[in-house]
This record gives sequence, structure tokens and C-alpha cells, in this order.
Amino acid sequence: MKTPKMRLSNSVIAGLATLLLPLGALAASDDAQKMHKLYEENCASCHGSDHGGFIAPGLNSESLKGRSPTALRTIIMAGSFDTLMPPFYGRLTDDEIRGLVKHLQTTPKQANPAWTIDDIKASIKVYVKDESALPTKPTYEIDDINNIIGVAARGKYGRGSGSKAVFINSVTHKQIGEISTGTAAHIIDYNPANPRWAYVKNDTAEIFKVDLYSMQIVRSVKTGFNGPGLGVSRDGKYIMAGSYVPHNAVILDADTLEPLKTFELEGIDPDGKMVTSDSGMVIGTPFADIFAIALENAGQVWVVDLKEGFPVTKIENVGRHLHDAFLTHGGSKLMVASYDDSIVTAIDLNERKIIKKLEAGCVPHVGGGAAVEVNGRTLGFGTNFGDCDKMVVSVWDLDKMEVVKQVPVSGGTESPAAHANAPYVAVDIISKDRRARTVQLIDKKSLEVVKTLDVGGHAYFPEYSADGKFLYVSAGYSGDEVVVYDSTSLQKVASIAMESPAGIFSHGRVKYMTRGLSPDEFENAIKMKGAK
Amino acid sequence: MRLMALSGALMLGLSPVHSVNAASIYAGQARAAAVCSQCHGIKNPSADAPFPPLAGRDYAYLKSALEQYRDKTRKSDIMNAIAGSLTDNDISNVAAYYAGLKP
Repeated sequence: MKTPKMRLSNSVIAGLATLLLPLGALAASDDAQKMHKLYEENCASCHGSDHGGFIAPGLNSESLKGRSPTALRTIIMAGSFDTLMPPFYGRLTDDEIRGLVKHLQTTPKQANPAWTIDDIKASIKVYVKDESALPTKPTYEIDDINNIIGVAARGKYGRGSGSKAVFINSVTHKQIGEISTGTAAHIIDYNPANPRWAYVKNDTAEIFKVDLYSMQIVRSVKTGFNGPGLGVSRDGKYIMAGSYVPHNAVILDADTLEPLKTFELEGIDPDGKMVTSDSGMVIGTPFADIFAIALENAGQVWVVDLKEGFPVTKIENVGRHLHDAFLTHGGSKLMVASYDDSIVTAIDLNERKIIKKLEAGCVPHVGGGAAVEVNGRTLGFGTNFGDCDKMVVSVWDLDKMEVVKQVPVSGGTESPAAHANAPYVAVDIISKDRRARTVQLIDKKSLEVVKTLDVGGHAYFPEYSADGKFLYVSAGYSGDEVVVYDSTSLQKVASIAMESPAGIFSHGRVKYMTRGLSPDEFENAIKMKGAK
Repeated sequence: MRLMALSGALMLGLSPVHSVNAASIYAGQARAAAVCSQCHGIKNPSADAPFPPLAGRDYAYLKSALEQYRDKTRKSDIMNAIAGSLTDNDISNVAAYYAGLKP
């Protein structure tokens, strides 16, 4: 344990105050406690319980230095347009909002709070004691379990009754179930070995094991304070989760959610400095019994073998600020996005070394990634936030590991979707104006944008149904619906209402590994495993 | 402007349907997305929010409420500030857009 537990030290200070300080000062510290509680209950799931930021900016004495308290009060009251910041008018009183502004402008970023293997173990909740009593097949009409699409609904306030994982039959476009996640659902992953289990991770790092046959939570565990990293091993026996706060990762038994081993994420960054690190992507691969995990700040990718002691192979100097990644070549190669040097680094998971660093536009964010086979070539598509002057989606030849084309698009992008049976690669435009309503479609053959769809809301996280016939897109923020298009005619065919939908995850992903590849790719990987 | 407002009122007197059509639902959609939906949502506000839904409400009611918030004859800290930024056209467009939505 590297750092003291913040809440504990706060309460120790409060205890001392009781002993030593006169009444006025005691009232002040009561107030600080109250504001801390308000922060935890309303702000922390997005802005970080350490005040250091997560999916939203850090709120602390340093980051808010010199900001007008009136302007901050207005943002809290009315929310911030073109972002996920909701209006707290009517939920918090004027006094509470004023108090919070003062609290935020005087509170430094907190030390990384500890969350140990014992904390993780103690956090396990069992909702269904006897799993053998669960139904043996889906309790609703569905031809193929891969037709399930899961949507991470954030809920307007990032918590509360709107925060849930919603499951849809992607043939009928009807909702077939949902589970409440308390705070915003962020990632949904599926067990590749047993189709009935899904794992949902929320913004406060709780993981819910979901029975897709009866559409209910059977168990949950809290793996940290936040961080989106989540992966499932190819044999379906292990889950790995990584956190931003604290700087660690954990391997869990996928069945019981018992923690088996934690990893402190620290290492030498590309500048030669020893740093502790947020966890980026965590990924299992059909290629081997391993997890790969990106250490965002240390610029390293660790490969963890799923055997006695879970030994780690460290690959250094991958990039300056790693984030997400996708698999190719039967899962033996990993394409890792690095924000600060705007590259995607190809890693050979067999040799456990870097193959090549590829140009990737501006601040690459590859989302779930996309790869398609066109005329005998396997092409990868790289989205990027595009914060510099050129707005492009990178296309790489994944055999030769070289840039094929930088396709001009209308703005920054966050996630590509592709499918072997669909003619277009969809990318979500996220630039903060009317363009954010749109998704652009790149023709697989000509590698040019051929159509722009006005989806509404903040349109992001496109995903194809498992059969490739339909394109699902979240009309996020205040759009409040998931919109479904025919993937060839691009006509709108359905809409599913929910609060602030975000990530969309097809169960088909377990079949084709990376979106856009044919299931054969996955089959080949299994065969390779047999041949080994 | 005055003339437009007057003819709008006349048409409203004769046939509210026409007056809704005269407003631009597309301009209303853009304005609603940028100004109103943050709190009121498009079809529904958040289940956890204290804000009333607007979709499917009566056009004349929405229009007069916004006008009252704008000239402060109806008091609300937040609505007085937000409606204050809307033009006559904005108000009829937004009212027409929300009135035409199915909740």
C-alpha cells in the first residue's frame, strides 16, 4: 500500500478537531464533511473521487484557480451544453451549489486512495445464491444469443434510475432486458466460453456479472474507484479489470468474482521517469491464455500469463500516453493507441515485442477498433480526436503494417464500426458543434466518405448487429435514443429510447474478435490454438 | 417584426394549426437541442430530474409560458435567464417543435 487512505485521514482530522478546536472551527469542518459527501454523491463518478478528473475534468484548487465562482455556479446550475454535464438546478439548493464551488476551489487533488485485494473481496455482493436454479435457456424469444446488443446507458446525471445496461434483440430492435448499474454503465463484455454471462462495468468501477438468459445481476464486485479497463480471458475463466483510481489492476475469477491477484501499475516511462500509472485497455485474446493491459502514463503494455502466479512480461516504450487497442491476425497482434505522440503501435503478442509505430492522425482513440478484409488485404481503421488541423481517419494495411490512406472526415472521431457483411465503415464525428449529431460512412473499397447520417443528440459509438444487417448508433447526451439504420440502404428503421446512451456492444464480438473481420478469423485462431 | 407578430396572433386566432406550420420546426429542433433539451430532454426529461416534460404540450401554452418567462411576468431564476436569450422567432419555433413531438 503506497498511499494513505484519504477518507480515513479526513476522519482522523475531524476527530482531532473535536478534541482541540473551538466550536466555530468544528462547524466549519462539519461543513467540509458535508461538501465532501455532496461531491461524492453528485460529482465524483465523472470528475474522480480524488478530484483529479475521469471522463470529465479534474475539479480542485489547482485546476479551478482564478475561475469565477459565479461562472462555476452557473455551470453547476444549468449544466454545460455539448458535454455530459447535467443541470443540478432543483437537485441541489443554491446554498449547496455555492458551498460546493467554495469546496472545489479550496480542495487540492487528493492522494490516490487505496483499494486493496481485501477491499475488493469484501465488496462482493451475491444476488443469486444458487446459479444452478437459473433457467437453462433464454426466457425470451431469440434465434441466436449473438443477436444481443448491449447498450451502456449513462443516465442524465451519470447515476440514478437512468443508469443501466440495456439489452436489445438486434433482429427485432426490441428491448429484451435491462439491469440497473447505480452509476453510469461504461463497458459491456461477454464471456466467450459461456454465452449466458455478460460483465458490465460502471463509472465507479463496479463489475456486474449478468445472466443474459434471465436478464438479471447474479453477482457484483467493486474493483476500484473508476477506470474503464475490462477484459475476459478466452477460456471464460478470468476477468481482468484496471483502474485510474487507484493505480492498479486485478484478475478475478470470472465465475465468483473473487479477486485472485492485484497488480500495482508503475514503471519507467519513455522519458526514463518512474511513474505510477492509470490503467488503459485490458484485453483477452483468442490467440492465447493471456491478458494484455496498457499502462497509460508509463507507456508500457504488460502481458499477463494466465498460469500459476500470473507472471508479467513488460513491453516498454510503446508510446507516451496509451489508451485503447484492438486485435488482429487471430488475436496475435495488438494495435495500441497512444494519445500524446499520435501513433498506433503494433505489438506482436507471440514475440511480446513492438512491431512498428504507425502514424494515426491526431490523438488516436480507436474505441473497439475495426478491421476489414478488402481485396486480400486486411485494413485497420483508426479514429482519433483530431484536435489538430487535419481531420482524418487512418487506414492501415495490417499485414504490411503501413499507412494506406488518411481519409478526410468532417471532424474528430472516437470509435469505428465495421462488419464483414456491411459495405461501410461507420465513424462518429465528435467535434463540439452540429457535427456531433452525425456519423460518417466510409466505403470499404473506395476508402472515401460516401454519406453523413444526422443521428441527433451527440451521436457516438456505432456498432453493427451480429449479422451485419443493421447499424446501431447512440444519440447520446440529450438525444436519449439509440437509432437503428439498415446498413446498406442507410434508412432509419427503429429507435430505442433510453437516457444518455453511450457505448454499444454486440454479443457478436465474441465471434469475430475485432469488428469487421469475418468469424473465420476467429475460427482460424481456435485452430491455431489446437495446432500449437 | 411587429407585423409578423401581429399576423401570427391573427392566424393563431383563426387556426392554431396554421400558425404552428408557419413556425420552422427545423429551426425549433436546433434551438431545442441547444437550449432546452439539456434540462427538459427531447421526448422526456431525465427520470431523476425536477424539470417538466415539454413534448406534446399545447403550442399556445408553450409560447405564452416562454414569453412570460422572458418578460419576467412569470418568475423563475433559471427560466428568466434562459428565455431572456430567445427571440420571438425562437419562441414560436421551439414551441412548434415541442408541440409536434409525441411524448
